[in-house]
Amino acid sequence: MSAVTFLTRTRGRRALDWTDWLSYVYLALGLFLMFGPVLWLVMSSFKTESALTEFPPSFLPYGQKQVMVPGEDKPRPVYRVKLPDGSVRELPELRRIGLMATHVDPARPDEPIRVNINDREPVREFRLATENYSDLGGKFNFGLYLWNSVFITVVATILTLLFNSMAAFALSKYQFRGRGGVFLLILGTLMVPPAIVLVPNFLVVAELGLLNSLWGVIWPAVATPTGVFLLRQYMLTIPDELLEAARMDHASEWRIYWRIVLPLSAPALAVLAIFSTMWRWNDFLWPLIVLSKSEKFTLQLALNAFQGDLVTQWNYLLAMTVITLLPITLVFAFLQKYIAQGIASAGVK
Amino acid sequence: MASLQLKQLVKSFGQTKVIHGVDLQVDDGEFVVFVGPSGCGKSTLLRLICGLEEATSGDILLDGQRVNEVRAADRGLAMVFQSYALYPHMTVFQNMAFGLQNIGTSREEVQAKVDGAAKLLQLDELLQRKPTQLSGGQRQRVAIGRAIVREPKIFLFDEPLSNLDAELRVSMRGEITALHRRLGATMIYVTHDQVEAMTMADKIVVLRAGKIEQVGSPLDLYNRPANRFVAGFIGSPRMNFVPASLDRAPAGAQEIGIRPEHLTLTPAPDAFGLAMKVSQVEQLGGHALLYGTLQGGSASVTAQVAGQHAARHDDVVALYAPRAACHYFDASGLRVESAT
Repeated sequence: MSAVTFLTRTRGRRALDWTDWLSYVYLALGLFLMFGPVLWLVMSSFKTESALTEFPPSFLPYGQKQVMVPGEDKPRPVYRVKLPDGSVRELPELRRIGLMATHVDPARPDEPIRVNINDREPVREFRLATENYSDLGGKFNFGLYLWNSVFITVVATILTLLFNSMAAFALSKYQFRGRGGVFLLILGTLMVPPAIVLVPNFLVVAELGLLNSLWGVIWPAVATPTGVFLLRQYMLTIPDELLEAARMDHASEWRIYWRIVLPLSAPALAVLAIFSTMWRWNDFLWPLIVLSKSEKFTLQLALNAFQGDLVTQWNYLLAMTVITLLPITLVFAFLQKYIAQGIASAGVK
Repeated sequence: MASLQLKQLVKSFGQTKVIHGVDLQVDDGEFVVFVGPSGCGKSTLLRLICGLEEATSGDILLDGQRVNEVRAADRGLAMVFQSYALYPHMTVFQNMAFGLQNIGTSREEVQAKVDGAAKLLQLDELLQRKPTQLSGGQRQRVAIGRAIVREPKIFLFDEPLSNLDAELRVSMRGEITALHRRLGATMIYVTHDQVEAMTMADKIVVLRAGKIEQVGSPLDLYNRPANRFVAGFIGSPRMNFVPASLDRAPAGAQEIGIRPEHLTLTPAPDAFGLAMKVSQVEQLGGHALLYGTLQGGSASVTAQVAGQHAARHDDVVALYAPRAACHYFDASGLRVESAT
């Protein structure tokens, strides 16, 4: 079945059934509600600063048409000008003083035309303001924020996978007194709201001298009850006979973990990696508390700091927001199979 | 190559005792089969020997050395698991090499040993495949190959053929016995299938409820079962048990056991007669199986008669049991020797 026939299937054989109408209206509404704001954001991120403040707002990014005029260094903005003889022409503006503007025909640069500004209107054309993106690197230390975010996300995810899988291995494959108790204790921490542990966590991190260090963001996030639970449930499905065979094969416990259990838990590890990446990348509150120097900011903090008290450069803010959304979007797009599988297998999100 | 001795071996899981003081001697180069109904403790006994379970009391001696406290890996035994327990993410080569790599064997030596074992088991073509790409019989061979490369003192097999279809089981049976002949190694084999036990073993150990019922060669067990349980367990179809009052039996005998294949339809010298009401006939061409109950009694009887038989449901047929083939058991099920 091709994608088109799949997507356009209906209940009614010939005409649309009323349930078809209902579903398609519902889907269209959902698409508009969910995707509309994102699309608006992306479109707006390509608008110039002045286009953003326009009223009424336009959906597509428009900019004023500009042309080169002989004898000038920069391109000049083009206006649709009503000439004294009543004809209308598109002419670039040379300069403007008060209510009067001087225009020129590029074909005859030595014949300036003086026009009242009420007799002209700007010529607009579809234009992507890519400078919103290209300026980011030079102007705002964007590269540094990006690096901080990537560093925290990658390192924290690797450490999360390592520590959680070790805990899960012990809790799923070793018989010891109090195993159930330990597991319940770990699960119990899920019931504690994060806001409550915020202050104690902060005190510990401060005492360890990790304030204003990326490690201060990473370490408290490494041990997650969700991750331990998810991995343990998966590891329970690995047959014990495999571990016994490995033990007969002279494998040390570490080797069993590293060579047998970890590779076989790959699907669950992938799920946890996705979750951890999303958690760490989107994390705002904890980095905000730990990181106060701007050179340690993550992208999320930088976005927040970008909204100044007096001036907010919305065009750059929007461009940065789009970039911040990209990794998570890509993760979702390419790994959604694993996400669904993970939610199904562990019943968590 | 090694001998194994179990002395008063006991294993309990919490309050439940599953092995009740087992004594056993396995000689160097022997093929020993543990057989018994499911839940009789035969797999537990095997796991005790290889060290995956710890004995509650008693001794396990390998070549005269007590190994109770020795780790499973260091006992020098190799186990072939019921599920094969092949590492699914490794190729056949990696599966077989894993144990050698763990003890720091050099690359060349690993290569040589794995190649040797692969050749022996005709796995050379499959070395780069993953276990999921193999058939049941091939997986079985890989599991055996993994055991062979480690050159163990004793091979342990835990119901290795139970996941295979009937035809493959017969051919793998042949392969394992051939392997035993070639390697001359001591092998201990666990199964619940008495046909496997009869065809493969040098020595059969019949277990029931954690106790050894009888130890002996296959024909010993067939010809002189020590008790009613062994008599019923070994041999297919199952031995018939009829009340001793039907014939003159030695003193103390409560039941007469007679195997279906020894019953005949024609009077034989020194045989006693039984009248059976037929309830079912299975024609197998070469021979026929008659099922029924004893006329005037409740004991069910099976007879295997040569050729094809025309008996119908509810017919009464006369069967003759030669006394030389009869076994006698007393009230507690123990064998009673006949007077002659």
